[in-house]
Amino acid sequence: MSIEIKQISKRFGQFQALNDINLDIQGGELLALLGPSGCGKTTLLRVIAGLETPDAGQILFHGEDATDTHVRERQVGFVFQHYALFRHMTVFENVAFGLRVRPKKTRPSEEAIKKKVHELLELVQLDWLADRYPAQLSGGQRQRIALARALAVEPRVLLLDEPFGALDTKVRKELRRWLRRLHDEMHITSVFVTHDQEEALEVADRVVVMNKGRIEQSGTPAEVYDAPATPFVYQFLGDVNLFHSRVHEGWAEVGGTRFAAPEAGDKAVIYVRPHEIDLARNASNDALAGIVTHVRLLGATVRLEVKTDAHEALEVELTRERYQAERWAVGDAVWLTPREARVYGA
Amino acid sequence: MAFKQHSVLPGFGLSLGYTLLYLSIIVLLPLTALVVKSSDLTWPAFWAAVADPRVIATYKVTFGASALAATLNLFAGLLLAWVLVRYPFPGKRLIDALVDLPFALPTAVAGIALATLYAPNGWLGQYLEPLGIKVAFTPLGIVVALTFVTLPFVVRTVQPVLQDLEHELEEAAASLGATRWQIFWKVILPMLLPALLTGFALAFARAVGEYGSVIFIAGNMPFVSEITPLMIISKLEQYDYLGATAIAVVMLGVSFALLFIINGLQWWSAKRLGRRK
Repeated sequence: MSIEIKQISKRFGQFQALNDINLDIQGGELLALLGPSGCGKTTLLRVIAGLETPDAGQILFHGEDATDTHVRERQVGFVFQHYALFRHMTVFENVAFGLRVRPKKTRPSEEAIKKKVHELLELVQLDWLADRYPAQLSGGQRQRIALARALAVEPRVLLLDEPFGALDTKVRKELRRWLRRLHDEMHITSVFVTHDQEEALEVADRVVVMNKGRIEQSGTPAEVYDAPATPFVYQFLGDVNLFHSRVHEGWAEVGGTRFAAPEAGDKAVIYVRPHEIDLARNASNDALAGIVTHVRLLGATVRLEVKTDAHEALEVELTRERYQAERWAVGDAVWLTPREARVYGA
Repeated sequence: MAFKQHSVLPGFGLSLGYTLLYLSIIVLLPLTALVVKSSDLTWPAFWAAVADPRVIATYKVTFGASALAATLNLFAGLLLAWVLVRYPFPGKRLIDALVDLPFALPTAVAGIALATLYAPNGWLGQYLEPLGIKVAFTPLGIVVALTFVTLPFVVRTVQPVLQDLEHELEEAAASLGATRWQIFWKVILPMLLPALLTGFALAFARAVGEYGSVIFIAGNMPFVSEITPLMIISKLEQYDYLGATAIAVVMLGVSFALLFIINGLQWWSAKRLGRRK
């Protein structure tokens, strides 16, 4: 089912949480709302769910106005960061809750409920835990039960608020792959909120980057990563080094390397990712001189910090092989050349 | 000492020893003395003291009125706690403080105040009298007094639990299609149950032992509005120490039994909520 969000604004006291948000979510899409804390992503999700009323604007579910529909009737499945499982009910009863609270006329029989719950527990691969209480489960298991509970009411939309935020890294990675597979099987329109760019890029069909209550950019993971629309998006999606430069006839310059700056005025800000910088030992006029101040081994990559005239600490990331070929050490003099960069007007 | 685990906090032996000594002197010693003293009685004499029809009538009044008062406060206390936690309104802090007043007030003061209020010519009594409702000097008056003194218990045990109840639980239930009523009944109330039981138990225990606030309003008519603590006092006044002790032992036994039952219920429901393993 498709969702249209039209000119939604929401204010909490003096704080403008959402500022004129427009967004179309296609049916069957898995969409990520990505942004730093306080950017309004969770508020937007809660507005879609009906847990928050917008001050202005409209929400359309499949072309029908749902702005004033109560969360109870909106048929959304909502998954919370801290699971929000009912502690006094067994796993089975948690999943069955949505079916049991239906009005008598539409409530399935006890048999049907049992069948449905076990189907869902099998789907999340936790059928063997049906008789346990939430307190006896691990975080990852709890979140899967929360998902099964949300799916029990056959929601038209699945909304997940930082679903993996409270889990440790390894479980998080497993679960997000599992969520992706699940979505590929069920094709239910899903929106999830995250502050983790890796998570958004890995799982989502489309990523919407938000900042200060506005949408900065929306596009496929490749689009937002390779062609960030604003400096904010560029910075948010990975580590960056910042250079300032004057613009001469449409070209900005970093240490002798020129980059096209067609949109910039007099001055430009040049963003270079740590892995887009080459290092050399030989002095050159076309490179920035610096001294290695830190070397950090991060597994597959090695991160160096280099001090230059203009920067206290430039970050350079090398593959393990390239690092081992040169054996950079703290105190070495190096010459840096950016291979690629993005230029924005200052 | 197999149960002693190594801990970074020093003084386990000392603090446990002190705790046990303190509990023994303050709690166990008097109780033991009570039981030992009553064992001076022969069985028939004990039975005669305890099963005297007039005394049995006081058990009914005391435990009945206490149960009624604690039950009333179970509902009223929940409502009060709910209002104090859920809604912002002017004067909320004042009302919050008022809840503790019955607890802080000397019980005799409460008794005199209530007796004045509900006496046939009192502020409230004069209007109730024509309606055929007699409060002062009847068992109803005892219930009123006990309800007054035990008000804070349920409020104060439920309030913090209600405060900490995650709002997300209610949102989750609503998103699953539950109505407000279903959310209250199926989600909130079960979570509050252990606190409600604790509050009820405390209120009941306090009510059973209450003396000061009751005797003024009760009228103390034999077989109608006499409470068991009064029975003990009057036996003491007649220098019938053994008879008084015998009745005290019965009260002790019943109170213990009730507290055990309620503690068991509480333990069971807390275990289900995963607070204890």
